[in-house]
Amino acid sequence: MGKKHISRRQFLQDGGCAALGSLTFLSSVLNLGAIATAAARPHIISTPGDYKAMVCILLSGGWDSHNILVPTDTENYNHYAASRGGLALLKNATPAQLLDLDYDDNGKTYGVHAAMPQVRNMFDNEHLSFLANIGTLIEPIANVTEYNAGIKKLPLGLYSHSDQIMHWQTSVPQSRSAVGVAGRIADLLNDMNTIPEVSFNISLSGKNRFQAGNETTEFSLSRSTTAANIGFTPFPSFWSDQGYKTSIRNQAIGSMMEQEYSNIFQQTLGNLGKNSIDSIEKFRVAMANVTPLTTPFSTSGLSQDLLKIAELISVRSFLGTSRQVFFVNYGGWDHHDNLLGNMNTMLPVVSAALNEFNNALTELGVHNNVVTFTISDFARTLTSNGNGTDHAWGSNQMIMGGPIQGKQVFGEYPSLALTNNPLNVSNRGRMIPTTSVDEMFAELALWFGVSPNDLSYVLPNICNFYSTSCPADPPTGYMPIGMFN
Amino acid sequence: MNDQKIRKYFLLVLGVVWFSGVSAQRDTVTLGYGGLPVNMTVSSSTPPGNPQNTMNQNGFLPNKNAASRFLQHASLGHNLTEIDQVTQMGYESWVDSQFVVPKSFSILQKIRDYHKIIKDSTANPAATVGSRPWRYAWWQYFMSSPDLLRQRVALALSEICVISENSAFGGNAYAMGPYYDILLDHAFGNYKDLLRDITYNPAMSVYLTHLNNPKSNPATNTYPDENYAREIMQLFTLGTVLLNNDGTEILDNEGRPIDAYDNDDILEFSKIFTGLTWADRTQFGRGALNDTSYIPDLVMWNSFHEPGVKNLLNGFQVPNRVPVDGVADINDALQNLFDHPNTPPFVCKRLIQRMVTSNPSPAYVNDVANVFINNGSGIRGDMKAVIKAILLHQEAKGCENCDVPVYGMLREPMVRYFQIHKAFNAFSTSGNYRNDLSNLVVLTGQRPLASPSVFNFFQSDFQPIGPIADADLFGPEFQITNAQTIQGFVNGLYRWLFDGDISDEFGLYTGEPSANYSNQIANLDLSMEVSLTNNDQLHILLDRLNLILANGSLSEATLLTIKTVLEQFPNVSTTEKRQKVTLAIYLVMTSPDYQIKR
Repeated sequence: MGKKHISRRQFLQDGGCAALGSLTFLSSVLNLGAIATAAARPHIISTPGDYKAMVCILLSGGWDSHNILVPTDTENYNHYAASRGGLALLKNATPAQLLDLDYDDNGKTYGVHAAMPQVRNMFDNEHLSFLANIGTLIEPIANVTEYNAGIKKLPLGLYSHSDQIMHWQTSVPQSRSAVGVAGRIADLLNDMNTIPEVSFNISLSGKNRFQAGNETTEFSLSRSTTAANIGFTPFPSFWSDQGYKTSIRNQAIGSMMEQEYSNIFQQTLGNLGKNSIDSIEKFRVAMANVTPLTTPFSTSGLSQDLLKIAELISVRSFLGTSRQVFFVNYGGWDHHDNLLGNMNTMLPVVSAALNEFNNALTELGVHNNVVTFTISDFARTLTSNGNGTDHAWGSNQMIMGGPIQGKQVFGEYPSLALTNNPLNVSNRGRMIPTTSVDEMFAELALWFGVSPNDLSYVLPNICNFYSTSCPADPPTGYMPIGMFN
Repeated sequence: MNDQKIRKYFLLVLGVVWFSGVSAQRDTVTLGYGGLPVNMTVSSSTPPGNPQNTMNQNGFLPNKNAASRFLQHASLGHNLTEIDQVTQMGYESWVDSQFVVPKSFSILQKIRDYHKIIKDSTANPAATVGSRPWRYAWWQYFMSSPDLLRQRVALALSEICVISENSAFGGNAYAMGPYYDILLDHAFGNYKDLLRDITYNPAMSVYLTHLNNPKSNPATNTYPDENYAREIMQLFTLGTVLLNNDGTEILDNEGRPIDAYDNDDILEFSKIFTGLTWADRTQFGRGALNDTSYIPDLVMWNSFHEPGVKNLLNGFQVPNRVPVDGVADINDALQNLFDHPNTPPFVCKRLIQRMVTSNPSPAYVNDVANVFINNGSGIRGDMKAVIKAILLHQEAKGCENCDVPVYGMLREPMVRYFQIHKAFNAFSTSGNYRNDLSNLVVLTGQRPLASPSVFNFFQSDFQPIGPIADADLFGPEFQITNAQTIQGFVNGLYRWLFDGDISDEFGLYTGEPSANYSNQIANLDLSMEVSLTNNDQLHILLDRLNLILANGSLSEATLLTIKTVLEQFPNVSTTEKRQKVTLAIYLVMTSPDYQIKR
């Protein structure tokens, strides 16, 4: 990584990363404390305009993010090129393989994959930033010596899809049974929303760990759901007494769902059914009020999912929500094979969708109320397996939105050298994360209104990444990533 | 049992109920056995508990609800005739009879037949096969084949050793079909042979990318692909942590689970799965020559196989073979995994979860795993013995747990859909069947070999929040159960039953006249049910549905709810009677009593 690796805690205290903005952050924490206090009172009606939403885009499969954000200064690019071999994107190629970012951190410069021109533009226009070398951790691991010594706790199932995708969503990587970060936030802040039937968490991709809470679950719909087709298909209009018959049929379904079941599987299904039915009626009303957006969206599934999210945001008042978390999965990133070709196909989808969504949020006047970010199982090996890459660890992710300080590479982008690299734990090129998933979610949670005192409920390991007292008041030594304006 | 006999039973039941004067019994009587509690199940090793049991040489025979319940473990759907067969034969004889039913036909051959039709009809010898013939062949097999148990096991295997149409080859029937043939062929074979065949299967090798996987080249920082090495361990044999033979985790002295392998082990196994490529290629590392390249097993090119020693699990070492012999290396590695103590409990528990129940007791897993280890004749991995152990275990065939609050499993949506066809004797006049299952996948997210990833439609250790997670138990199928899919399934029932749009049938090629296949669409035979829609017979109709669909587990409250609605629907015309039956099925299959198999 080109410089002496300091201990994680020292790093946090010294604020060794760019763009700390700690003063701004602490003042925003104080403001948020007021919201959190309000949130502690049940069913408080939020002031108009107090609306915040998070949009989590899961890129399942483990996207090869070392080919998304690529170091371009000579020293770091040369390490990158040597490690990646035939998979390295070339500088100054025609057509371009990398788009330079308008960014220079003491000589460290970067480019993004050329298939993501909108991402480059949003970065340069301060709508979007990157998080470098972020990953699942229980506690900081300074280097390969600590990793090999077995004195630091490692995430369960390191490099396994099912485990790492889960840990990213729970941020409790010592457990395989934890609920999700957004679910736990919902447990705390659910009362900020005024209609109890409307879930705090809305998914365009079905059940997911991120939105599973101890007290709350997600509401799932699809990109094709509309006011006209949500709910149980009614009997045809040409039936006599069609409305009555549909009504008693639906009542029977509701009644069966609401029965008192002693069997826990029936209870679980009944509760899901009942909650779904209750929610559907609220969403039917809300979605009937959707006005088509003028912002154009592409036809890809991800774009259409984000369009549906934008529409739901546009009718938030009908849903009685001042806080919402949306989840969408755009999968298929497990590129053990044909990495370059697959990324050329898939990255434009992400880039266009993010840009369209960003534009739509501006159209809706909520650009400063919504933060969108990507997560993914892990990065991939720096080295090739021929024409693809395998499972690794610390990765690069994107975060976008008005509340975010744009045009930044948060955290610490490590050297990608295979040898003499204290963060590399394998000859295949697997990097120990230098920023934990906890740290990213902590800032998002505090922005969202979680009280600092409740942070360890949302993120049980967070104190491992703070230097001082925890979980009491914002710790004095607390140096966040500094993502927020 | 023929319909005439059934009718007699109904009259008998009716009489019993009326004379009993207990109105609560009316909705919950069990077909043919008027006085029995709904969930009563008597099995061959249960002491005689009621006078209806008769003896034959197999011991006590199951009653009809018990037989229906058994068939819901052992098949993808069944009708009254099959229930009757089980009551007459007993469980074990039925299983034995299924073991000798040969595979009906080769899915691959059926796909070839369809392909020939496509080429001949379009006068285009170069026409590709496309994807639809795979699903039509699968559906034809399901609708027409008597090997119910083989099909049940094959579908279970397809959700353990997963490939999916959501892949580079999903549009090619010649990739999908041969893989499913392997599952059908080895459903009654040996798990080791299954591991071997899927390893050399082209579709699997594209899916988990051990195709064209060359040996290391440190000069270019190129190393073997780790994908198959990882997933064959994590998903097809061992799981991630060391297991006791009863499927519980082995814990270290601090109470933590112990990894079954680490990344160094994966690196060693990744060397094993090098050197394989297409059988029809004369060079290593090329793409598929054409859609039929997926049919023959992969071949080994030793010059691209990683030479040298490989240190596998439990101290097993693959020797430095000179000359290099990749096939021998693979065989050693598969044996190493097959012999690992994790494999019996891991595989058996997953099979039990697919077929019987979500949370088998450790004793149940242990008993089945012991049979996996040794079928009684010293053979490991004998699937017939394992299947028999699963189905005939007291925890499966007995109903001691039926009313235990933590017992059961959520039926997966595609199996519910399949069940409709068998329960109501779906038929076509031609005996041929087409179904693309395209709406099924839209509505429920499921059809065979269509999971979103190698982790199946849902993971076996999924814990839905609420009482199941609170009890630290698993409910895998709940992972795909949400507001969207709950509506999807109910609206699917509407489409299939009320709209009568139960199959998705299309031409095999552009412009095929629909007259070619209009007689290949399944129709449900509801004639018996339609005769039972008068208000004073609704309880008989519901008893019948309760028996066939839900093995008698519908509660009085559920039956009463459904009956109350049905009574408010008109019952004059034939159409109205059929709509009433349809509504009854729709509501039964929507009920949590039905959807949770107990």
